[in-house]
Amino acid sequence: MSNGRKACRVSVLHNKLRRDLMSSTGVLITILAIIAIGTGSYIGLMSAQRILENSQSSYYSRYRFADFWVDVKKAPLTAADRVATLPGLAEVDARVVFEVIVDLPNIARPISGRLISTPIDRIADNLNGLHLVQGSGFSDSKKSTRSEVILNDAFAREHDLLPGDRLELILNRKREQFIIVGTAISPEYVYMVRGEGDLVPDPKHFCVLYVPERYAREVLDYKDAFNQLAGRFAPNSAQDPELMLDRIEAMLDPFGVLATTPRERHASHRFLSDEIRGLGISAVVMPTLFLFVAALALNIVLSRLVQRQRSIIGTLKALGYSDRLVLEHYLLFGVMIGLLGGLAGAGVGMLITWGLVAMYPSFFEFPSFDYQFCPDLLLIGVLMSLGFAIAGTAKGVWTVLKLQPAEAMRPTPPSKGGSIFLEKLTFLWRRLGFRTHIALRSLARNPFRTATGIISQAIAMSLIFSTFVMFDSMWYLVEYQFDTIVHSDADIGMRDERGMNALYEAQTLPGVDEAEPALGMVFDMRNGRCARRQSVLGLSDPHRLTTPTTAEGEAIHVPKEGLVLSSKLAEILDLNVGDIFDLTPIRGRRDKVQTFVASIATSYLGLEAYASRKYLSKLVGEASAVNTVQMTIDPTKRDAFYAAIKKLPNAQGLNVRTDTKHNIEKTVVETTTASLGMLIFFAGVIAFGSMVNASLIELGDRIRDVATFRVLGYKPRHIAAIFFRQNMIIFLLGAMLAAPMGYGLVTASSVAYDTELFRMPVVISTESITQTIVICVVFVLFAQFVVWRQTQKLDWLEGIKIKE
Amino acid sequence: MLISSQRFDRTYATVGSMMIDQSEQIEARGASRADELLLRMRNANRTFRMGEVEVKALMQCDLDIKEGEFLVILGPSGSGKSTLLNLIGGMDRPTQGEVWFRDNELSKCTDDQLTEFRRASVGFVFQFYNLVPTLTAYENVQAAGELVDDALDPMECLQLVDLQERAGHFPAQLSGGEQQRVAIARALIKKPDLLLADEPTGALDLETARRVLSLMQHLNRERHLTTILITHNPAIADIAGRTIRLVSGKVTERLVNTNPIPASDVEW
Repeated sequence: MSNGRKACRVSVLHNKLRRDLMSSTGVLITILAIIAIGTGSYIGLMSAQRILENSQSSYYSRYRFADFWVDVKKAPLTAADRVATLPGLAEVDARVVFEVIVDLPNIARPISGRLISTPIDRIADNLNGLHLVQGSGFSDSKKSTRSEVILNDAFAREHDLLPGDRLELILNRKREQFIIVGTAISPEYVYMVRGEGDLVPDPKHFCVLYVPERYAREVLDYKDAFNQLAGRFAPNSAQDPELMLDRIEAMLDPFGVLATTPRERHASHRFLSDEIRGLGISAVVMPTLFLFVAALALNIVLSRLVQRQRSIIGTLKALGYSDRLVLEHYLLFGVMIGLLGGLAGAGVGMLITWGLVAMYPSFFEFPSFDYQFCPDLLLIGVLMSLGFAIAGTAKGVWTVLKLQPAEAMRPTPPSKGGSIFLEKLTFLWRRLGFRTHIALRSLARNPFRTATGIISQAIAMSLIFSTFVMFDSMWYLVEYQFDTIVHSDADIGMRDERGMNALYEAQTLPGVDEAEPALGMVFDMRNGRCARRQSVLGLSDPHRLTTPTTAEGEAIHVPKEGLVLSSKLAEILDLNVGDIFDLTPIRGRRDKVQTFVASIATSYLGLEAYASRKYLSKLVGEASAVNTVQMTIDPTKRDAFYAAIKKLPNAQGLNVRTDTKHNIEKTVVETTTASLGMLIFFAGVIAFGSMVNASLIELGDRIRDVATFRVLGYKPRHIAAIFFRQNMIIFLLGAMLAAPMGYGLVTASSVAYDTELFRMPVVISTESITQTIVICVVFVLFAQFVVWRQTQKLDWLEGIKIKE
Repeated sequence: MLISSQRFDRTYATVGSMMIDQSEQIEARGASRADELLLRMRNANRTFRMGEVEVKALMQCDLDIKEGEFLVILGPSGSGKSTLLNLIGGMDRPTQGEVWFRDNELSKCTDDQLTEFRRASVGFVFQFYNLVPTLTAYENVQAAGELVDDALDPMECLQLVDLQERAGHFPAQLSGGEQQRVAIARALIKKPDLLLADEPTGALDLETARRVLSLMQHLNRERHLTTILITHNPAIADIAGRTIRLVSGKVTERLVNTNPIPASDVEW
């Protein structure tokens, strides 16, 4: 009997709850939408993060992704064998990695390729094993291995290359024809970039070619030798990886260690890990902002509901409903909204995950990358939504608890009247119309509601603003890196240092207007405990085609002595302008010299160091070495230039500035437009939702006033005009708050993205500000339209009958 | 539980708008209780603090209410009627003095004990009916019935006030008189020891008011339901057995009416 009664009790107040919810649908839908986006962004981003993370770790472990890479000039295989005996190492792979030029039959432009030697019998099980996408892999027969190549899949897809197709490579002064026996992906190139300094994959102009090990050694003069050692630490090894790398470096030192790259600095790994980290950050920031706004809005709705149902609460308490029962009833209001919002959020979240899962394969290449359903994240998301919703009802519920039945039965104390602060400024106040007076008084008398409106507008605006700023910043970055610093059209890299004849040779190529020699060399830089092996680009004097630039935008001319460091490199080495540090060439006589920081340049990609080419040549004991030639090309003779490059025996790599720039721009536009659209929509939900919400509540509150105005002969648009003033004041105050908030958000994301690979400049253009304002004004106008429609539909005759 | 609920155990039925008590046995029990003291108030004071000002809403009030009595508390607005009713109904506690309901001192009860007291023993009827607008007439009655274990059937209560046909209507679809009858049905469902009505006819026209008052008078006479009605309307005092008059928080007059008139004859 008593159980039956309990169930029954639940049902009657539930009817009230259901009808209360139904009667505030308009207001609640806006809150539900905000909650759904908040919860959805958590579920969506966290699920995407998990999917990426799982794909990464299973890919890495299945295909034995290396823990480190050591590049050497040329070392005998016996050296690798010695390294392999070090305790704490699981395995090493001594291989040959070689930059080549690829000549595709129907493409004029020579393509940069990276040749990697691969053992034919264990392409999948080797360190950094290959996952074959198409084809059958290398044939086992000795005579056919010479010309077989496995191509990275993205490049093959981009150029419609299939197993059986042929391509030509210019390698080690020879032109060789290859037959494609497969396409593959590798854990080393999940994010297909060359290395530091690359921002986005460029499958059109860069490829990785895997060739049989024996062939590579023979053709590239690496018989019983290697130039890159990849390795994996033994799992659970007690050895400190950093110390191990030092030891390996020391063992390989006699063979000229060019670079040591631990996994944390591996470009593909870094980009992937940064994306995973970024998803995690967004999965915290977005839900916090959205659920915070939702909680504030819910707070208003529930406080208002409790206020309106004051006498009902009193009656229920008078009837003998305990505080707990009444409290539960109102708490259930929040619970229902939290639950509904959470469930809608689960849907939104799955959509976000689905969208990201569909987008990621165009950036990250995994053997399999599938949507995964993450029930635990769904549950956490719904619980979060519940938590915020319950927190949002706290104030209202507290009022319910405090309300004594006798007090609740008495009429509501008259709302605060009297003059507001602004009225003291008589001169100003008198100039404002009575509608503005009503709007201002109403704002001043509901400070919490007003503050919520302002905060919501500010959050929405700063979200949109920061997205625009990111967009601008990316454009600025691309222009800065590819227009301000670099002015050459094409750069050709050479296998070995050569004399000035390399320059003269380049000058005679068809279409070359201007050519400048440069020398890229690797040095050990040390300042006390801070050390770094870093490539330095030696520029000729004067240099016009590469101009490092200061933070103030002034072009830096490399000094006769001393180095120009990019700010991130200076930060890593803890150096300032004028500071002295040690510089040791990693080859030649390897004499340690002391040099100084001549200037600090700004750069947003990778780490950079510049010096005079002559100064660098002197340090390695050569008169005038050149290994890169930078050129400007007559656009009408581009094809002739490309054809000539394909015949250059020494060319090892080709960079075409405009191609790189366009590729980045294209990718930036694609990705940023998608995220911009989504963020504007999300922020719009906050801006529009909070404003409609506040206006509808206000309209409900002021139905008597509205009725009175209607009786006096005011039209709905006159009444809507009061709300418009009120909303515009909130909007303007929100915009004032959004300025520092948006700047904070932009600065914070710039700090979050500050890595060795990539830095985000903060570029605030007037367009960003204008676009943000215009978009937000559009949201306000949409909200205003809804308010206007409501004032039209309002049953104001009923309003007159309402008793105080 | 401090408050022991000694409830009336009655069943009601209606024939048209006439109510007939079907349980003679229970009537006998109710009659046997008559003249027993149900509520006792001694030197009760209630002061409110409104900012800087202390408002004495009720001063040195002594009151005895017997089982089965029909008492009218009369007074102009602001005289402390509602404050007194709140003290009697366990919605408030006196600042000073004692309030006893049978053997339980309400003035010393905790909030939970007062809630229990209201739940078990008091039926309220308010001037503006205080129905939950989002519940139907039936559900409004049910909402009160759910709180006790031996409540009447909501439909039975609606029949009692002749509103069974309107059970599915929402308050906004009912007239003022109908709403007040729903409120009475809501008060009756838990078979209270005490019916407290705060200006129950304050918002009704004379004809409707007569009907509501008749209903209350009938419940008091036939069911021995102790009823306390507060009003500013002196005409209503004629239907009660006893009237006390409040002015500025003090009891200024106590009248016994040996010959109450039928509520249907009340005039104002």
